[in-house]
This record gives sequence, structure tokens and C-alpha cells, in this order.
Amino acid sequence: MARLVFDAAAALTILFAAVMVVHRHPVKSVLALVVSFFGLAVCYVMLSAPFIAAIQVIVYAGAILVLFLFVLMLLNVGEETREREPWPFQRIFSGVALVVFAGMLLGLLRAHGSAIATPRAALTGEIAPLARLLFSRYLLPFEALSVLLLAALVGAFVLAQRENRP
Amino acid sequence: MTLLDWLIIALRVLVPLGALIGAAGLMSWVERRGAGLIQDRPGPNRVGPFGLLQPLADAIKFLFKEDIIPSSADKVLYVLAPGIALFSALTTFAVIPYGASLPLAGREIPLIGADVSIGVLYVFALTSLSVYGIVLAGWSSNNKFSLMGGLRSSAQIISYELAMTTAAAGVILSASSFRLTDIVAVQSGTWLGFIPRWNVFPQLLGFVVFFISTFAETNRVPFDLAEADAELVAGYHTEYSSSMKFAMFFMAEYVNMTVASALTVTLFFGGWTLPGFHPHGVLGAVLSILVFTGKTVFFLWLFVWVRWTLPRFRYDQLMRIGWKALLPLALLNLLWVGGLVTLGWI
Repeated sequence: MARLVFDAAAALTILFAAVMVVHRHPVKSVLALVVSFFGLAVCYVMLSAPFIAAIQVIVYAGAILVLFLFVLMLLNVGEETREREPWPFQRIFSGVALVVFAGMLLGLLRAHGSAIATPRAALTGEIAPLARLLFSRYLLPFEALSVLLLAALVGAFVLAQRENRP
Repeated sequence: MTLLDWLIIALRVLVPLGALIGAAGLMSWVERRGAGLIQDRPGPNRVGPFGLLQPLADAIKFLFKEDIIPSSADKVLYVLAPGIALFSALTTFAVIPYGASLPLAGREIPLIGADVSIGVLYVFALTSLSVYGIVLAGWSSNNKFSLMGGLRSSAQIISYELAMTTAAAGVILSASSFRLTDIVAVQSGTWLGFIPRWNVFPQLLGFVVFFISTFAETNRVPFDLAEADAELVAGYHTEYSSSMKFAMFFMAEYVNMTVASALTVTLFFGGWTLPGFHPHGVLGAVLSILVFTGKTVFFLWLFVWVRWTLPRFRYDQLMRIGWKALLPLALLNLLWVGGLVTLGWI
């Protein structure tokens, strides 16, 4: 039963990720990504990581993609149209990328088979062990990440300020 | 699992769902009669005793109205949007405990849809998804008033979500759990023998910030900029002629209000607990549900009271209150609660 739900959610995630790439309308692409993220959240729940699932929905589906949607609607972006033929080397590169990706996928499948990895006991279900790890073993990366985000915030602020200067 | 177990699960899902939809219908009557009371006029009083059957008459009217989809609308999203709004509103209630456990047929039945370890986060996840209903309705209608309503709503909900979650973080900190049953459990008992151990007393600031934010999250006056009738006709649902789809938006608003009130009661007012009230048996379970309902009804009335008393804010005022007043106050509250917890006072 759990396996069935996981597989269905994973298939949904991949399907809508593909729709996101292929669809010509940017708003529809964002919506496809929302569904994809939702499927990913279900996958996390089935892997007994409900905290990650909730954060995934709150941060990505609930905040970042809403901002994407906000900007797209504000600018009223219409459907994309092909303005020129793709360059020949573009096709070659995409072919190479496809081969590399297929190789990676094959390697992963060979190494792990189709079995779902058993989650580390310290991280299943409850939030407290996760918080403890975050504030002890991974404290430095955690804090470095927050400084990085702050730097991005200051950068965005500076860029916005320059626009307003007379 | 036996048939009885399945039946109990089905009832645990369906009874709160029915109660929630019933509450939404009843609230539309309370809102209109309340408006009448505040504005010194009768309000709807013709259908049934005190006009109580008015919501039923409205529902029948909605069912029989012609359903019009604007020819230039995005059909799929236009139909989907009210569904998303109502779905996210209804499913939020699943993790809120609405009573003590009910002993029945040799089993202890917890009076909650699903007691998950990430209860509070689940509520916020679904609240953040509810914005899609409004934004998509605004965009798919292909109408400038609808679009403006949708845009306003998305910016507003994202801004106030920040203050709301930060205010709720204080409650999570003092209970050291995301589970809503744990949050209710730590609020039972009293301080000094007569003050209930409700979070509202040590965290008054957190409660004020949280409750103000719920007005913005549910798009209610004084923060109903998404449908500001004076500027935007009817905002995001302008193109939803009063058919069943409009009714779904209408219901979603009242369900959201009910869930917001229930959540406020659970986080800050001890949920179904009362000092000196130790429920046991079937009667205890029923009484605990009544206590929870009573507390929730008070906040529902507060929503109505505020709507017919206060004027609407301007959009720049709304943003200024959210970012420059509520968010710093919520952070201050978090610091205060952190201090209290560190000193071991709560």
C-alpha cells in the first residue's frame, strides 16, 4: 500500500516536472511545478520525513512559487513563441546531456536497484532529533547558509536601490 | 481491522467535515443577522424561525442558477480555482483536536482527524496553498478587477504568513512540540490555582499578532483588499456569477474563518480544556466538544463584530502594518517566550 502511494506520487512528480519544462505558457509551467512539488512532498511523507514534506510545501509551493506567479501575472507574460530555429550545436549539446543523464540513472539503478533505502533511525518521524543534528553537527553549514541568504538579501536590496536613484 | 474500525475512521472524518460545512452555512446567517444588529435593522428574518433557514434557501438558489463561464476565461483553471479554495479550507481542520477522547465499544476514540507530529506545520502548509485558489480565480477570469484582487491577495497572504508563523512559533517553543494535542495538553491546569495555564497570558503579544494576521489570511475586513468592493467590484470573484462556484468561494471564506478561530482557541486558549474540568466517559467527551465549540464561537463572533465595525485599510497601510508592526512584534514575542522557557518559568 505504502509502496503503491510512493510510486504514484513519484510518477506524478516526474510527469508534472516534464509538463513544466514542455509547456509554452509560463503560468501553466509554474502550476505544473506546484503539482510536482506536492508529489515530492507526498514522497517525503512516505519516506517517514513529514517535517521535510511540510517545509517543502510551505517554502517552495506556498511562498517561492506564489512569488513567481505574482511576477508573471504582474507582467502579464503570454505564451512563448519560437522566434528562431535552434542552433545546430544546441541539439548536439542536448543529446550529450541526455546520454550523460541516462548513464547516471542507469548507474544509480545498478547500485541501489529499485529498493527504497531504509531511512536513518535518527531522522525518522520526530523533529527533535533533526533539530539536535542541525544545531550540533551541522551548525557551521547551517549558519553559513543563513549568512549566504543574508548576503543575497543585501545584494537584492542594493540592486533595487540603484534603480530608484535619480 | 474490523468493519467497526473502518466505520469509526469514516465517522472521524465525516462528522467534523459535516460540522464544518454546517458551521459555514450557519455563519452566513450569523453574519447577516449580526450586521443587522450592529446597524440597527432586522436582517434576514423571513425564512424559518429567526430566518434560520435562509442559508438553506440560498443554497437551493445557488444550485438552480445558470452557470456562466466567461468566453475569454481559461476554462480549466476557472473551474479548478473555487475547488482549490474550498479544499484547502476544509482539510486544514483535520489536525485540530476538538475534544477529549471518547470511550465507545471498548475503544478510546481520539476526537481529532489525524494526530500528526507536524500538526502546526500542516496547518501552515495548507494555508499557504489556499492562496492559489484566489490567485488562479483572479488570473483565469481574464478581467482586470479580478487580476488586481488576485495580485493583492497573494502579496498580502505571503506578508502576513510570516508574522503569523512567527507568533505561533512562541506557542511551539513553550510546548516544545508541533503536535496540536501536546499543545493542548500543556495548557491544562492553572497558575496560582485560578489563572488557567493558557498560552494567551504569558504570550499576549503573540496572540494579538496571530489573531490580527488571521484576518489578513482569511481576507476579512479590515484586510479584505482582495475583494474591496469599492475599488474592485468584487475582486477575484467578479466573474463568478452567483452560481455554485461563487458559493464555493463564499463557503471557503466561512470555513477559513471557523478554522482560524478553532486554531486560535487551540494555540492560545487551551483548546477543549477548562481549569477544573476533567472529562471522563461519553458525557465528558460531549462536554469537552461543547467547551471547544463555545470558545470557537466567541472568536467567530469577533470576526463578524470587527467586520461591521471597522473600515478597510488602504493597501500601503496594510503592507506597513504587516512588515513594520506585526513582524517585529512577533519577533519580540519569540524573544520573550524564549527567555521565559530558558528561565524555566513556563
